Amino acid sequence: MKHDDTTIFSSYERNPSLYDEIFDENGNVQKTYETLFDLYGKHSIEDYVNLNSKAKASFFNQGITFQVYNEKKTQEKIFPFDLFPRIIHPEEWDIIERGAIQRSKALNLFLWDIYHEKKIIRQGIIPMELISSSANYLHQMIDVDPPGGIYNHISGTDIIKHNDGAYYVLEDNIRCPSGVSYVISNRTALKRALFGVFNHYQAYSVTNYAENLLDLLESTKPKGVDIPNCVVITPGMYNSAFFEHSYLAKTMGVELVEGRDLFVEKDFVYMKTIHGPEKVDVIYRRIDDQFLDPLEFRADSTLGVPGLFAAYKKGNVTLANAPGTGVADDKAVYTYMPEIIKYYLDEEPILNNVLTYHCSRPDELNYVLENIDKLVIKPVDEAGGYGISIGNRLTKKEIEVVKIQVKENPRKYVAQPIMSLSVHPTYIEDSESFEQRHVDLRTFTILGKDKEFVLKGGLTRVALQKGNLIVNSSQGGGSKDTWVLKK
Amino acid sequence: MNLEYSIVYKAENKYETWVNGAHWQFLIIPEENKTQEFVGVDFTNSLDAPIEYSINGFGFRTIRIHTKEKFKTVAFEASFKLIKREVNPFDFEITANIEEGYEKTKTIDFRVDFEQFLRSTPLTSIPSTSEGLFQFDLKQSIFENLQGLNLWIFEQIHFKVGTTDISTPLIKIITHKEGVCQDFTHLFCALARQNGIPCRYVSGYLHQGNGFFGDSQMHAWAEAYIPMVGWVGFDPTNGILANSNHIKVAHGNDYNDCSPLKGVLHTTGENKTIHSIQVSSQQ
Repeated sequence: MKHDDTTIFSSYERNPSLYDEIFDENGNVQKTYETLFDLYGKHSIEDYVNLNSKAKASFFNQGITFQVYNEKKTQEKIFPFDLFPRIIHPEEWDIIERGAIQRSKALNLFLWDIYHEKKIIRQGIIPMELISSSANYLHQMIDVDPPGGIYNHISGTDIIKHNDGAYYVLEDNIRCPSGVSYVISNRTALKRALFGVFNHYQAYSVTNYAENLLDLLESTKPKGVDIPNCVVITPGMYNSAFFEHSYLAKTMGVELVEGRDLFVEKDFVYMKTIHGPEKVDVIYRRIDDQFLDPLEFRADSTLGVPGLFAAYKKGNVTLANAPGTGVADDKAVYTYMPEIIKYYLDEEPILNNVLTYHCSRPDELNYVLENIDKLVIKPVDEAGGYGISIGNRLTKKEIEVVKIQVKENPRKYVAQPIMSLSVHPTYIEDSESFEQRHVDLRTFTILGKDKEFVLKGGLTRVALQKGNLIVNSSQGGGSKDTWVLKK
Repeated sequence: MNLEYSIVYKAENKYETWVNGAHWQFLIIPEENKTQEFVGVDFTNSLDAPIEYSINGFGFRTIRIHTKEKFKTVAFEASFKLIKREVNPFDFEITANIEEGYEKTKTIDFRVDFEQFLRSTPLTSIPSTSEGLFQFDLKQSIFENLQGLNLWIFEQIHFKVGTTDISTPLIKIITHKEGVCQDFTHLFCALARQNGIPCRYVSGYLHQGNGFFGDSQMHAWAEAYIPMVGWVGFDPTNGILANSNHIKVAHGNDYNDCSPLKGVLHTTGENKTIHSIQVSSQQ
C-alpha cells in the first residue's frame, strides 16, 4: 500500500537515514501495519486530537502518574501515552523472548558464581576488578544461598532496533526495574479509546503479569512455610514509581507496605495490622539495597526495616530481587554478557550486545577521549538515563568537560557507538501531526526455579523531543502500547 | 595456660529532647574461636526493653533492642565471661619460603579468595602520591614486613584521644601523626592491602593490665593473612602482636563493619554517649 496523502499521516516526514518501523525506504507500509494504517486512515486529525485528550484525562483520573526528580519543584506528571501502537511480529518476538530469558538465566548463574566460588574470575574470563571496584557488590551476600538459587527474579531488558534491522540490548536492569504497570494501563487505555482497532489484530494479552509475579513470589517462600504471606514494599508515595508499586500490590491481591509498617522480632518479619502482627514470608522489594535495613546498610535510611537483613540471611524471609543483584547490572558487566552467556549456558547470545569501550582500559580510554563526538558516554552505575552524554550533541566546551570527568574516574564510564534507534510514527501535540520519534523496548522477565516468563508485550518508550535518543520517562519520554501478534 | 576474663561493657546515652522509640544493635559479644571459649553473657537496659540475639551481615553475633517507650536517657550494661587460651604469636617458621609467600599472594586464586580484605574502603585509602610511607622489603618475609609496618605505625603516630573522629581521613592522620586505635588500625590495613596482603579490621577488648594503650573504649587491631601461616593479629597502637590480652569481637573491612553500637532513632538536639569498659582476669 502506498503512503496516501489524505490520511492523518499526510504531513508525516520520513528521514531516509532513519529506520522507520512502519514505512520502508520507498514509503510503503510494512505488511504487519497495513490493517492498522487503513483503520487510522479513516479518521481525520481532529478525531485523533479528541481521542488523545480523552485518553490523557483517563490516565490522570486513574492516578497513573510519576514524578521527576532533579526539578526545582517536584511535580506529578502523566506518563505521555501515544495512541498509535507498536506491533511486533511473532517471529521477531520469538527472538526477543528467547534472548531475554537467556540473559536472565545467564545473569542469575553469574550472580550465584560471584557470590560463591567465583569460577568465572578464577578462569580469567572476567577481570577481578569488575567485582572489587563495584559499589554494588555486597560482601554480606557471600555464600548466602537465596531460595531456589534465584537472585534476579525480575529483570527488565532494554532492547533497541538498530538501522540494520537487528535487535540490540542496551541494558539489563535487575535491581528494581519499573514500567510494567504502564504496559498494562497503556493496553487498557488503548482498548478503551480504540476498541475497534484492537479487535482487528490477534495480540497477546498483557494482564497475566501480576498472576505470574505472584506465582513466582509464592514459589520463593522460605523453608517450612506452607502458604506464604507476600507483600510489596515501597519507598512511599513520593517515589517516582509509586503508582506501579500500588498497582502491582492491588492486582496481586497482597498488601502494599512501607518500612514503618513492618518490624522484625527474633529474626522474623511481621506486618502491623489492626488484628495484631502478621508474619511476612516474601517481600517484593522496590527499595534499593542500601536502604533495606538501617542497622546493616545506610544508617540514615528511613525507608527500610531494622533487622531485615539478618532475617533474610537466616532464611526466614525472602527478598525479591535478592540483595546484591545490582553488581550485575553494572554497565561494565554488560560488556561481558556474550562471554557470560557462553560460559554459563554454553550458547551463543541470541540478542546482540552493543560494542562497548571500557574507559578503565588505557588503550580504549584513549580511543574514547579522541572520539567522544562519535560515542555515547555512560556512567556504569546510574539508572534512569542520568549522566549520559551523547557525543554528537555536545558543544566543544561540553566535550572538554566530559573528557575531564572520564579521565578523573575512568572506571565509572563506558562508551558505545551512537546507536541509531528505530523510529515510529508518534502523535506530537505541538504540531498536531504524526512525526518520527525514536523508540526502544523494555521487556519484563520473571525467573524462578521452575519458571521462565516474559511478558508478551513490553514498554515501548518514545523519546518525545525531536532527534532525542534518551527514552527514559525520567528524561521526558513517553510510551506506546506494544502488541505482540499471535502466530 | 588459660585465662578467665570478665568483661563489663556499659553505655549511657543522653538526649537533649525526648525520643519516641528506638532500635539499637550491639556488636560487643566476644567471638567464639580457637583461642576464645565463651562462657556467658548477661545484658540489661534501663528501659527494661526485651533483648534479642541475632547476627550482623557478616554472621557475627549481635544484641538487638527495640523500645517503643519515650525516654531521654538510656543505660545498657553487658557482662561477659570467657576463657582465653594462651596465644603464642610465634608458633610458625618466620623466614621460611620467603619467595613462595609473595608468589602465592600474586596468584589469581589468592586474590579472588581474599578479595574482600584486599579492597580499600574510604576509611582505608591513602592517596598513591603520599610520600614517606613504610615500604616493603621483598628480601624479607611477609611476616617480617608486617612486623616492620606495625612498629613503624607505632613509632610514627602518637596515641591521642580527641583529635580525630571516625571520619578523619588517613592522610590527615599521617600528616598530624596523631590518632586513636581505629586510626592506627586503618593505617595498617591500608598499607598491608596496598602491598597485596589481605588485612581485616578487628574490634574487641584489650586487657590493659600491662599499661597498654587502648583507653576504656573498645579496642581495634588488625589481622593480616600470611600465606602458609594464616591470619595473624597485629596491634599497631601498642606495637605488638595480638596476644592473650586481645579479646576479639568481630572483624570487617573497616570500622563501619564493626561499630559496637548502632542506633536507629529520631531526635532533634544534641545527644551524648558515654562508654566504659572493664576487663579483668583470673588465672
